[in-house]
Amino acid sequence: MNRRRFLPLAGIAAAAGYVSWKSKQEPHIASGPPGNSAVAVIRAASYQEDLVSKIYEGVRSCGLAVAGKRILLKPNLVEFDSATVINTDAAVIAAALEVFRKLGAAEVRIGEGPGHRRDTYDLADDAAYRKTIRGFEDLFVDLNRDDVTAVRGFAGEREMYFPNSVLAADLIVSLAKMKTHHWAGATLSMKNLFGLVPGSVYGWPKNKLHYIGIPESIVALNRTFRNTFAIVDGIVGMEGNGPIQGTPKHSGVLVMGSDLVAVDATCCRIMGIDPQKVEYLQMAAELGHLREARIDQRGESPRSVRSDFTLIEDFSHLRLVS
Amino acid sequence: MTEVDLKSRLEFLKRTQNADGGWGYFVGKQSWMEPTAYAILALKGSSGSEDVIRRAWTLAQSWQLPDGGWRPGSQVQDPTWVAALGLIAASCLGCLDQVAPKSVPWLLNMKGQESKWTVRLASYVHLLKTDVNVTHRGWPWHPGNSSWIEPTALTVVALKRSLAWNSNGDVSGRIRDGEELILSRRGRDGGWNSGNPSVLKYDVPSYPETTALALIGLQGSANKDLSEPLRAVQKLYLESKSSLATAWLTIALHCYGVRVPPGPNRSAPTDVLLCALQAIGHPSGNFRFLGPGTPA
Repeated sequence: MNRRRFLPLAGIAAAAGYVSWKSKQEPHIASGPPGNSAVAVIRAASYQEDLVSKIYEGVRSCGLAVAGKRILLKPNLVEFDSATVINTDAAVIAAALEVFRKLGAAEVRIGEGPGHRRDTYDLADDAAYRKTIRGFEDLFVDLNRDDVTAVRGFAGEREMYFPNSVLAADLIVSLAKMKTHHWAGATLSMKNLFGLVPGSVYGWPKNKLHYIGIPESIVALNRTFRNTFAIVDGIVGMEGNGPIQGTPKHSGVLVMGSDLVAVDATCCRIMGIDPQKVEYLQMAAELGHLREARIDQRGESPRSVRSDFTLIEDFSHLRLVS
Repeated sequence: MTEVDLKSRLEFLKRTQNADGGWGYFVGKQSWMEPTAYAILALKGSSGSEDVIRRAWTLAQSWQLPDGGWRPGSQVQDPTWVAALGLIAASCLGCLDQVAPKSVPWLLNMKGQESKWTVRLASYVHLLKTDVNVTHRGWPWHPGNSSWIEPTALTVVALKRSLAWNSNGDVSGRIRDGEELILSRRGRDGGWNSGNPSVLKYDVPSYPETTALALIGLQGSANKDLSEPLRAVQKLYLESKSSLATAWLTIALHCYGVRVPPGPNRSAPTDVLLCALQAIGHPSGNFRFLGPGTPA
């Protein structure tokens, strides 16, 4: 082996060794903001149940006030495959819309910028959004093609562009799907904010976020947008090779809260994933609460509804023990 | 689509032009390079559109940066993939000499980060989680990112059309490399998705719009048998429900001499980009501007 060939290979070997050593170290997890966070876990066996009452119960138990606010509902609309469950179910979106209107929101809109597909309206059709949500055309904004404004200080970037419909919202409700993710371990309410990044500037996929780093981007988005609430659709989630090619997994829950870190940590516990081992949650611990002791569970306890999601081999180390 | 449909789409574009000369993705929204460029292509040659096009081109040119890159709109400062659209629009308007001297070198200088030696090395020792071939240089959506099918296909078209302005070996070499990248990323189902035919050894399905764009980029490729991808496009055309996908598939099929009827319109009625693409894909439309052109 000559020097030209040896040096890069030696560099990679050293880097791999460092990564291996680093992964065995106990991660430092910030203690989070003062106080505790409320997270509601509400049972819902199917999409045919009275989801309005269930979401209403969860929102009220978390103490969220929305009167007079302009709300943007951000579902997880990624791709469509009739053989599995990729997207936030239309019934959950329709129910959330009704709840926030009932609670006195000044305006409720729905917005999404899918990361792969260009025809957002076609995806919305396939996911039965148009059929299920009355007045969908007037409520929906394609965030990939919305007007944009620059935001400074995003993940060390000089500026990052975001849709005006997002920037104008008083409250962004992350209507996520409970899924495993082949790059991030899990995709829940925090990762769902990837859809706020406009394709018109960053493309399909939003590859800039991959270059910033997936965990780093998740944290940066959640640091930029603090006016958030989460409703995670775990009635039927996805396990295995998520977020697109996994298999349906019935969990029968809706998980809600204003602290998205605490909501995602709770979802992980329900999925049989140790949230303290999920990289983006470790990094986000300064934004919210990861530890069980700092989360005031409302409704069901995560343990009582735990139903382990199948994990791909790369993420088998995330399994929650106990 | 009938002649009346074509006329109504062209009238829609004329009627919805913003005061600054451009078009938003939706009527009344901020002007963006993408809908503006496709509106120029759609309207070129139609009666009474000279002033509309002149104003649109003046705005589009204002988005070209001193180094040759193009911003996607007034509100964004960074250059992006739309440089290819600037060059294609210039070619369609017969004014390559105004923009090509800077934009062609800018595009030649741009390449996906996966072609860097570090990534090639990581691929060589199987550290990458995707199976993409990293030996070819394509184009990213945003500088500093990886190559993807759509920006690569559009840039290949733009560079092929730029040969009418100035033909040199560097341009031809990058065109061939771009074509090779497109071909190397074709999925097992015969088409293309955004650029990852498989992830973690799982096949990822093709998308109709990206498959159409890939085939558009491959027009005029020497010694390439494209009969199988063309069959994939025809199959997707019959299966696809998406208005946008059907518009791109129609353009691709017309570019290859296959005449097809228009598809359904399920998108928002104020969607300017869709309207422009449907007009371009009309049998009497300007789909030829997305062809390789005639080398000088």
